[in-house]
Amino acid sequence: MLASYWRRILLAAALLVFAVSPVAIMPVLAQTSFLNVGKQVPITILINSSPWLGGFQSVAGLYEQQTGNKVNLDVTPYPGMLEKARNAVRGTESPDDVLNLDSGWTIEFYEGGFLVSLDQVEPGYALPKEVLTCGDSYFWNAAKRFRMEAGGVLMAIPPNCNTHVLVWRKDLFDQAGLPAPKTYDDVLAACAKLQSPPKLYGFVTRGERGNGINFDFMPFLLGYGAHIVADPANGDFTVTVNSPAAKEALDKFIEIMKRCAPPNAGSIGQADEIQLMAVGKVAMSEVVIAAWAGLQDPNKSMVAGKVAAAVNPGPVGRPPGVVVGNWHFAIPKNIPETHQKADMAFFKWFLTKESQTAYAEAGGIPVRSDVLTELAVQPKFAWMSAYNDSLKLGQQVLGFAEGPAVEQILGLRLNQALIGEMTAAHALNTAASEIKDVFARSGRKTGLLPPLPE
Amino acid sequence: MAPQQRTVAATPVWLAVAPLTRVRRRLSHDDWFRYATLAPAIVLLLLLTVYPVINLLMMSVSSIEFSQGEQHWTFVGLANLQRLFTDWLFATTLRNTLIFVAVAVAVELALGFALAVIVSGVPRAKGLIRTLMILPILVPPVAIGSMWKLMYNFDFGIFNQALEAFGLQPVGWLSDPRFALGSVIAVDIWHWTPFMFLILFAGVEGLPRDVMEAARVDGASIWQTVTKVIVPIMRPALGIAFLFRSIFAFKVFDEIFLLTSGGPGTATDVVSLHLFKVFFEQNNLGYGALLSIVIILAIVAFLVTARQFSGLVR
Repeated sequence: MLASYWRRILLAAALLVFAVSPVAIMPVLAQTSFLNVGKQVPITILINSSPWLGGFQSVAGLYEQQTGNKVNLDVTPYPGMLEKARNAVRGTESPDDVLNLDSGWTIEFYEGGFLVSLDQVEPGYALPKEVLTCGDSYFWNAAKRFRMEAGGVLMAIPPNCNTHVLVWRKDLFDQAGLPAPKTYDDVLAACAKLQSPPKLYGFVTRGERGNGINFDFMPFLLGYGAHIVADPANGDFTVTVNSPAAKEALDKFIEIMKRCAPPNAGSIGQADEIQLMAVGKVAMSEVVIAAWAGLQDPNKSMVAGKVAAAVNPGPVGRPPGVVVGNWHFAIPKNIPETHQKADMAFFKWFLTKESQTAYAEAGGIPVRSDVLTELAVQPKFAWMSAYNDSLKLGQQVLGFAEGPAVEQILGLRLNQALIGEMTAAHALNTAASEIKDVFARSGRKTGLLPPLPE
Repeated sequence: MAPQQRTVAATPVWLAVAPLTRVRRRLSHDDWFRYATLAPAIVLLLLLTVYPVINLLMMSVSSIEFSQGEQHWTFVGLANLQRLFTDWLFATTLRNTLIFVAVAVAVELALGFALAVIVSGVPRAKGLIRTLMILPILVPPVAIGSMWKLMYNFDFGIFNQALEAFGLQPVGWLSDPRFALGSVIAVDIWHWTPFMFLILFAGVEGLPRDVMEAARVDGASIWQTVTKVIVPIMRPALGIAFLFRSIFAFKVFDEIFLLTSGGPGTATDVVSLHLFKVFFEQNNLGYGALLSIVIILAIVAFLVTARQFSGLVR
């Protein structure tokens, strides 16, 4: 009788514990594992549909779960993002509480006075020291009209520091006894040995007109020690994109694309590039790190488990060039203060080590060096070493207000050189002259190098 | 007959003499009422048509910047016009647009007309055929872009797979400057020929049967019937179809934006795409406004010239 009584008590207690455990454990997790940001109003984030969106969606869901605060995602294709962001800030009240801005667009928004600095929302706020600053594009120095930490104010936080890495087919390289490519000559040699078109091409990167070719050519340009502009941080906007080093870089880019990429190289965009890699038609690809998660997903990729990531190759005897093409979470000025506070709460939560680890687990690209270092030892996160090493070399290239116009010019001229409509020298000379006109119209101190012989 | 004629002649006199002032007074009163009731519509029309054009003209002589959340307009006179003369890319896009319009509209007109004549001669299931024929117009442009981009894909597209099946080399439909514009025009023809068909089919169905019968009795061949009977009678319908399609074709944007974004190089760059880039990517509103005006004028000039040469619209 007594035993039966105690059995019932124990059973009831066990059922009670079982019933209340999720309710009881979640707040404990929220308080101990994740930052408690308090109750906040719902926020809407304007975000692009990109390879890293899945990871971000997961972490936004986790934020809701952990804090009870609502996050809506206004998912928009890349081509519509800029105009949507402009319309948001130019209206009476922005429908989006956080704007995700591409690197090249930020200055228009920083300089136009459409955003609040994070210091205005929360006085004294600074990025945690472990958070990567991706070439300092989150800071705006209004006096110099340039993005730099020295003398600048913090305008945004990083959702990622997107850079290129070289993704290569480790299985094919191992079979052929080839080492991981470190230089462009290695790429050409590996491509000559491995490729067998149209079944397998040696190398691919974006060659399509516009942002695609411009962004993917930049590692070559920087690798050869060339730059678009002389010293924009100090006001010298002399155009240097037609330097002999830039010509060497473009010649190498075209040589690799002609010898190793599919014949339609001039129209290959990011989706094509990732698709070619995912279906096993390419041995090497200079691709943004955000593509990695998809390539390692067996449901999306035939090469999952067969690829490795390395820092971009470079010219012999020179460090490789790495360009940072990062995104920026910024807060519009024209939203209520409660929403700005809610944005800050999300930002602070998102940048914690725990959230960033969860972000990485979900396929996102973390922006904390400690998370990158700690996770890189795990085989599934081995790519983080390449990413971390790349970021140490990463540079911003269009950190001035005329960035979008310059990108359009280069995007066309580089494409024309790639498809053979112009010689490399003519393309660079033409681009330089057109870029100089853009700077002259803006009242910059500008000039030209002597033209390359055509 | 005579008394009737006198009666008819007397009527204007009655109207012209005594009651005329009363009528005028009454009419002007009616006019006032009419104008008052019409005014809201006129104001709305002015706001929706004239004001944007005036605004566009003002923008075209200005530089517009957004700073500290406000618009700042600066009068720049003819600076934007001067820039137009050095904008060789605009000239290239204008040339591509003219080629696009001329080829696409001509083929669509010819195909649409031929299909209309053929389908009108089908004894049964005309409704079903007409419904099937107009399906491409109903497909959203984004779906068209995605669908054709896949079909044109160099590595996985159906066209290149077909070529390879016949042992032929794959073609860079959208990546080779020699083929890119033609490939885009082909998509436009697929998309818009049904529109031509729809307009012209209604015209062919409305042809007077006695005239057609007379041509047949007189021993006219099919070619003679088409060229000597159908085309002359259908000239107004052909003219309207040509006019509408030319205007739409001149403004082509979505197909090219989705398929090639103007590339490779400048092979498929058209004026609307150039305008989009100036307006929305470079954020250069003043120069963009000037380009808009030039494009409107170019469309008008094209249509006037086409009308002069073709004599289709009378």
